[in-house]
Amino acid sequence: MLGFSPSRPPASVSEAPLPPFRVESPPRPLLERRLVIVTGKGGTGKTTVAAALAVAGARAGLRVLVAEMSPDEQIPGLIAPGSPASGYQGRTLRPRLGSMQIDPFEALTEYLGLQIGTPGIVRRVLETRAFRQLLNAAPGWRELITLGKVWHLEQMQAGGGPRYDLIVVDAPATGHSVAFLSAPRVVVSAVRAGPLRRHSKLVEEMLEDPERTLLLPVALAEELPARETAELVARVRADVGIAIDRVVVNAVAPQPFPPGQGNLDRHLSALPPDLDLGALPRPRTLAACASFLRSRHELNRGYVRQIGEATGLPVVELPYAALGFEASGSLEALSEALLAPPREVT
Amino acid sequence: MNGAEFADAALLRARVAVCVGCGGVGKTTVAAALGIEAARRGRRTLVLTIDPARRLADALGVDTLGNRPQAIPAETLSQLGVAGRGTLSAMMLDMKRTFDDLVERLAESDESRERILANPIYQHASAALAGSVEYSAMEKVFEMSERGEHDLIVVDTPPAQHALDFLEAPQRLLEFLDSRIVQMLIHPAFAAGRVGFRLFQSGARRALQLMERVSGMGFLEDVSEFLLAFEGMSAGFRERAEQVRGLLLGPEASFVLVAGPGRESVRQALDFRRRLEGFGVTLAGTLVNRVHLWPDAEPPRLDVAEADLPRLAAALAAACGPALEAEAAARAALEAARGYAALVERDARATGALREARRGQGRFFREIPELPGDVHDLPGLASIADAIFRETGGA
Repeated sequence: MLGFSPSRPPASVSEAPLPPFRVESPPRPLLERRLVIVTGKGGTGKTTVAAALAVAGARAGLRVLVAEMSPDEQIPGLIAPGSPASGYQGRTLRPRLGSMQIDPFEALTEYLGLQIGTPGIVRRVLETRAFRQLLNAAPGWRELITLGKVWHLEQMQAGGGPRYDLIVVDAPATGHSVAFLSAPRVVVSAVRAGPLRRHSKLVEEMLEDPERTLLLPVALAEELPARETAELVARVRADVGIAIDRVVVNAVAPQPFPPGQGNLDRHLSALPPDLDLGALPRPRTLAACASFLRSRHELNRGYVRQIGEATGLPVVELPYAALGFEASGSLEALSEALLAPPREVT
Repeated sequence: MNGAEFADAALLRARVAVCVGCGGVGKTTVAAALGIEAARRGRRTLVLTIDPARRLADALGVDTLGNRPQAIPAETLSQLGVAGRGTLSAMMLDMKRTFDDLVERLAESDESRERILANPIYQHASAALAGSVEYSAMEKVFEMSERGEHDLIVVDTPPAQHALDFLEAPQRLLEFLDSRIVQMLIHPAFAAGRVGFRLFQSGARRALQLMERVSGMGFLEDVSEFLLAFEGMSAGFRERAEQVRGLLLGPEASFVLVAGPGRESVRQALDFRRRLEGFGVTLAGTLVNRVHLWPDAEPPRLDVAEADLPRLAAALAAACGPALEAEAAARAALEAARGYAALVERDARATGALREARRGQGRFFREIPELPGDVHDLPGLASIADAIFRETGGA
């Protein structure tokens, strides 16, 4: 039952392929925008990529802030193992590298406090049961206030220049990310006048400024993440107007055999399957391992190509790390791979 | 618990089997495999999926958004080992349409229905209103279960940010509609002007003033209009929500936890289980999907295998002839085995906590092997069902 079946060539990622999309070539280095919003389906390693990008920025001498949306913070532990959660107040994890968690309730309290000028009263109102019930069910405000906070951070000044050279946002998973990014645009179209509209407009301008902001989708070279990435890119192009200049494909299985041994699995299959090889596994098992690695590699390659074709974007591949990124130093290695110029795969 | 007992608990005694777990672990695949197994065991089964991978949807025949069940032909099913009265249908949920249907059914009058469906806030909000997506999925399960055309409905839960939204959503929607602020928004005094407004001395009043100050009056009027139209429905909605909840938390529902082999996924699965138990739900079983398993009953001894490389090289030279660099091939084979063994070891470490947590509780636990390709056809799904329910000893 555990025999590995050969992989089949993957079919098309998206049903209706996108029209060819011209990318300005070559894309600018990743660290040139002040705001990079990292998105991807759950399980693609989006948070790890956000952490690696922040590390890359700090290593390049930039003042970096990495902001997480999830209340269950992972970034402090990835960048500085053993570090406690950073919370809304933020924490410095390394020289020039801070992290924070944007809690929408906190951000709303801060925003309304700035608007009204009496933070104490605002906090008391927000903590009433009535308001909590409203906020628990009301749509859109979390996305809006979170992006508002990001804008606020982007505008911060220190010593005559921007406080941060690079802000990395670990955005919600793909399914939610178009709703996330389009929140300001929805407000601008639905609300006629007033501070909410004015502020949403500023956030929208920040998102749509290709000099300042980049959306960085993270995919896996597998069917569902590949398809979702293609759909995300199409929907962002249609609805949001935020720049995307590359796709990061994470955990791509490397070429498994050394040069000259391309058919290793087939050679192993030619042996008597149950031949006793001492401490070595039997040929049946050796062939199964080799065949698995080869199939995985070929399948991944097929999906990398499809992601490139379906999105019309160049691709940055990150290698599969069998042991995860907990081992010290591997986040550094990942951050270097992330900065590599993206490749056209079509 | 063995495979047969698990099938009994999860598929035979239940009317609804709910696959829970975080996104990206293959819940849809597992739900479809459970559906095949239920059909094999003679149940008229419906698999209700939220957002399947394209080719999986093709395999199940639900690539179009019909919001109604598509039967898988008997001939196809018999090739999968389904005999007798078992049947299998699949359906892909159209969430927006399900919510619209609900409004149509519960609206007090044609006029109020039209007003809700046409309201700009509803059009923006019905998809985003907290939990409406999750709620409409469970609403559909209830509706299909009421129809009685199927013995069992297998459903995969939507990928929510908050894992148990599908259980909590109805309550949250009701609380929202009942809340002071909403009541004030739809109170005629509000529409009449701000005079009535001053009469309230409450947090809700201050909260509304605050909102008004930030958003402007016009927006709140649209919201008020929407809520007014919705209010008439809330009695019907409440009753319906209670019934849905009753079905899911009652004896006719079974829950299957699906996890992936990563550390983070295992941590989330443990958290899930704890929270489900907070609802009084007992899991019928835990399935860890896509685990790298060693393809041999004998565990590897790769650290001491160097010495035996010449035996492998000799065998390769004999089988493949002089064109093959046999020594290099033997070494590459050992490296490939080590590479795969590292994956096996990593997964075993990550899933250790899940395996440990069910120890002594007699719950069903099984690892589904990772395959090099995607599972995207019915025979592939059937082999996953075999991996779950047949005692193989391979794991």
